[in-house]
Amino acid sequence: MSASQHPPDRHGCDGNAAPYVLGALEEPEFEAFRMHLETCAVCREEVAALQLVADVLPVVAPQLHAPDELKRRVMAEVISDAGWQPDRVPRRRARHAQAFRLARPAVLGLGAAAAAVAIVAIALLGGGTASRVRVIRAQVLAPRASASLRLNGTHAELTVKGMPQAAVGRVYEVWVKRSGAAQPTDALFNVTATGSASVTVPGSVAGVKQIMVTSEPSGGSTAPTSAPVIVASLS
Amino acid sequence: MAAMFNQLRHARGRDAAERLRSLADEELMQLVYRSDANAFEVIYDRHADAAFSLAHRMCAQRALAEDVVQEAFLSLWRSRARYDRRRGSVRTWVLGIVHNRAIDSLRRRTVRDRGVVHEEGIEERLVAPERTDAEFARREEAREIRNALEQLPGEQSRVIELAYFGGMTHTQIAAMLDMPVGTVKGRMRLGLAKMRMVLGDPAEVVQ
Repeated sequence: MSASQHPPDRHGCDGNAAPYVLGALEEPEFEAFRMHLETCAVCREEVAALQLVADVLPVVAPQLHAPDELKRRVMAEVISDAGWQPDRVPRRRARHAQAFRLARPAVLGLGAAAAAVAIVAIALLGGGTASRVRVIRAQVLAPRASASLRLNGTHAELTVKGMPQAAVGRVYEVWVKRSGAAQPTDALFNVTATGSASVTVPGSVAGVKQIMVTSEPSGGSTAPTSAPVIVASLS
Repeated sequence: MAAMFNQLRHARGRDAAERLRSLADEELMQLVYRSDANAFEVIYDRHADAAFSLAHRMCAQRALAEDVVQEAFLSLWRSRARYDRRRGSVRTWVLGIVHNRAIDSLRRRTVRDRGVVHEEGIEERLVAPERTDAEFARREEAREIRNALEQLPGEQSRVIELAYFGGMTHTQIAAMLDMPVGTVKGRMRLGLAKMRMVLGDPAEVVQ
């Protein structure tokens, strides 16, 4: 009997350690073996030893360069749901559009905006604690657009540039996220013909972790109906 | 004044990006845990080529490989809280997810679909250049592991490759090679154990 024909099972456990680390077990066997590992120290030890080899097998594959387009797609998804797990908003809030500067009616939709991955940069301006101003560069979905959040104490103002105008019948809405679901604000806005806007975030931003913007039906929404197009992380 | 501010802002932006790139994977994952997309981008940049290479080796089609890598990284982002550094490196975690996704993709395809479309020459078109010393060292390490696999008796390396890169189960391999399942399992174990001996601690070979 050659070495390769030796029975794999040395201790009555059916020799599943090697196919387990190679991903070669059928689903029911995989689950059964995983449970078996909880009680069998011999198999655990064998899996640990063989797993070290399985973990380095990927380098045997010819090494390729991942397409740039792939990164764009992945990061667009990541940015759009960064910290974004909207739960139900419990109550309808009265709202009115405020604090936006609008040059002309919205005529263009966002369309399938490509991702622009923005680097978060924080600039500290000013001196003393009371007058400390922070400017946070936000992550923006639209290509060539930028957004920054100016924090002055517990007040914040969002400035956007190069943003596409909200689609007909829609408006941009600002949301704040502390812990849990993002909460709506009364800040609704659209952008000028050149894509600019400046909007005050209502109330105090104490404890706010993120400020986000989504495209919503005119009048705003109490729960987001689309993925965020701007995300500014305060923490 | 505005120009000065912009210069300052851009300089700070560059500094922030540089700072992120100087962090170890495990430190970046602490930021990713807090939904930091910029930290995740650095993780992506570091491991996307290896992930795509593995997926392409398994799927043999660029479009499928891209889908697998995209699904894997998004799964990684959405399950970021599950990363446990005690269980291994970020790279191992990433490639483990890619491997599992590629297996799912392969097993969804019919046997007839498998291997029908091979994109010959894509490796030449997409081969990542050896741009840095680190990449050169990584290629040397890859060569060492490839040699360890090639030194195995063909019957052992074949079942390992069919399982790991072909996404086949041991019963499929046994049926294809017309041999008992126990023999397939035994060859897998012997092959892996032999590679372990040749490589010492494989984790030290690939940093």
